[in-house]
Amino acid sequence: MLAIFERDIALAFRAGGGAINSVVFLALTVLIFALAVGPDRARLAASAAPILWTAATLAAMLSFDSIFQADFEDGSLDVLAEATESLGFVAVSKAAAHWVSALLPLILATPPLAVLLGLPAAAYFPLVISLAVATPALSLLGVLASALALSLRRASILMTILTAPLLTPAVIFGVAAANAGAENSPLFGPLLMLLAAFTLLFLIAMPLAAGAALRFNID
Amino acid sequence: MSKRRKRLILAFGIVGIAAVALALTLTALKSTVAYFYTPSDLRELSSPPAGLIRLGGLVAPGSVKFGDDESAAVNFIIRDETAETPVSYEGILPDLFREGQGVVVQGRLQHGRLIASEVLAKHDENYMPKEVADALKEQGRWKEGQSL
Amino acid sequence: MAFDLANPQRFEKLAARLVPLLTIASGVTALFGLYMALFDSPADYQQGDSVRIMYVHVPAAWMALLCYSTMAIASAIGFIFKHPLADVAAKSAAPIGAAFTFLALVTGSLWGKPMWGTWWAWDARLTSVLILFFLYIGYIALWNAIDDKIRAARLAAIVCLVGFINIPIIKFSVDWWNSLHQPASVLRAGGPTIHGSMLTPLILMGAAYALGFAALLLVSMRGELAERRIARLEQTARAPSRATVA
Repeated sequence: MLAIFERDIALAFRAGGGAINSVVFLALTVLIFALAVGPDRARLAASAAPILWTAATLAAMLSFDSIFQADFEDGSLDVLAEATESLGFVAVSKAAAHWVSALLPLILATPPLAVLLGLPAAAYFPLVISLAVATPALSLLGVLASALALSLRRASILMTILTAPLLTPAVIFGVAAANAGAENSPLFGPLLMLLAAFTLLFLIAMPLAAGAALRFNID
Repeated sequence: MSKRRKRLILAFGIVGIAAVALALTLTALKSTVAYFYTPSDLRELSSPPAGLIRLGGLVAPGSVKFGDDESAAVNFIIRDETAETPVSYEGILPDLFREGQGVVVQGRLQHGRLIASEVLAKHDENYMPKEVADALKEQGRWKEGQSL
Repeated sequence: MAFDLANPQRFEKLAARLVPLLTIASGVTALFGLYMALFDSPADYQQGDSVRIMYVHVPAAWMALLCYSTMAIASAIGFIFKHPLADVAAKSAAPIGAAFTFLALVTGSLWGKPMWGTWWAWDARLTSVLILFFLYIGYIALWNAIDDKIRAARLAAIVCLVGFINIPIIKFSVDWWNSLHQPASVLRAGGPTIHGSMLTPLILMGAAYALGFAALLLVSMRGELAERRIARLEQTARAPSRATVA
């Protein structure tokens, strides 16, 4: 398991492109939203957390494609499938690697972009924390989506359709947590707990489902 | 480690994670991650929330005062078991709005009074014909806005 | 009996007999139900006559959930026991369930405007039912995107089962969260809080919908089986030398 994790991280850093693309996409999405909201600074600041959360989610969804694609194409997935009985563990390692190489850069890129949107100072920490707690769930979901998509010819749109419904609780609670933290509401703690529970639930369900999907797609 | 042992540990691990997730969820839900605040919730907050919020509760009987010539706003009080919040609203109230009815209002707090931008009347889970409701009222077994 | 159904011919015969029965039963129950709903039952003490949308809206919502549960059970059976009809059942149920969900959303919206004052609200129940609708759409899309029927069945089964967590959330959302949608009136601890004169037409409409669903499901399954048979025949016609493979 660790080996897969390390290998993926190494690959990601060597390729470099993936994370940078995601961050650039994030910045562009934020730009578009900012232009759409308009020059009203108060309105922009109020929308900052939802905009950043949406942009991060979209950028994450775009990166799901590549999780298993390369391995599938060059045959290393078949090797893995024969080497280990439990592809669920492979899924977990892949998710961890994806989070570190694709989503962590997004989280780190969020504060500077938040400055552009005029996010109030108190909101930074809650925003980053809410992203940090919820994004592992996104990675796990991405692993399932990618595993399912190996059968599909043109995967992108369909994977978005499939994964979006399951992402909604993360977005709902994530933005709520970010806002609650910003205004010091007592709901901040409970919302983070719900996010954490959601991620843990995905930690159990996604590898199981992804493992099964991989089996079917490899055979 | 034998395969059986590995499977057992995995099973325990999964159950453990599930238990933690469940515990987190129940703890969080007890703090009512709500669609709306109640007047009691507002009272307990350290500082009044800025921005758009939703407030839910019952319309306190006798509190509805329609606007006079100066302002078109209708004022009423929303209450739950322990607290009250005054509300001001300019607009048309929905059919179900009446005293003792459950409502959810959306708006911003200003000096402890909610300036509402939207008023949504909530229907409780009781469905019955008018005659039955009247009969219950006559018998004194009726509490307006209360579920049976 | 279940193993008999594994033989498509037997299923065809059974379906041929059941579909007319179910359709008639559904139609008759619907007639009685609608008559009671529109004429014979009283107006609600608070909502007046606009409560009558309930008789269309609530059974549709029940069916949306029932249909997804049927899909989930069929998916599980197909997954574990590899029963071929189970996959067909799951696939056939999906569009029907999507239609019921859409009906529930639309009628709910029509009911909400006079009652609550809004066409839509992002509360827990409405949001989770909307998510259910998207799950149905995604499921149907997945089936259509994969050519290999068996692989499509397995992958779709995974998606269906993962999404099943939404069903208890829909059911209990009105209890767990302060929401705009009213709490449960029929299936709840302490018995129904809906008066008998209104409960009867509601149950009748529910039965009508359920019987209609069963009829539609069987018809849809027959259609699916026929499609597969045609596809297989086309295949053997194209490659007659390999006819023995079928």
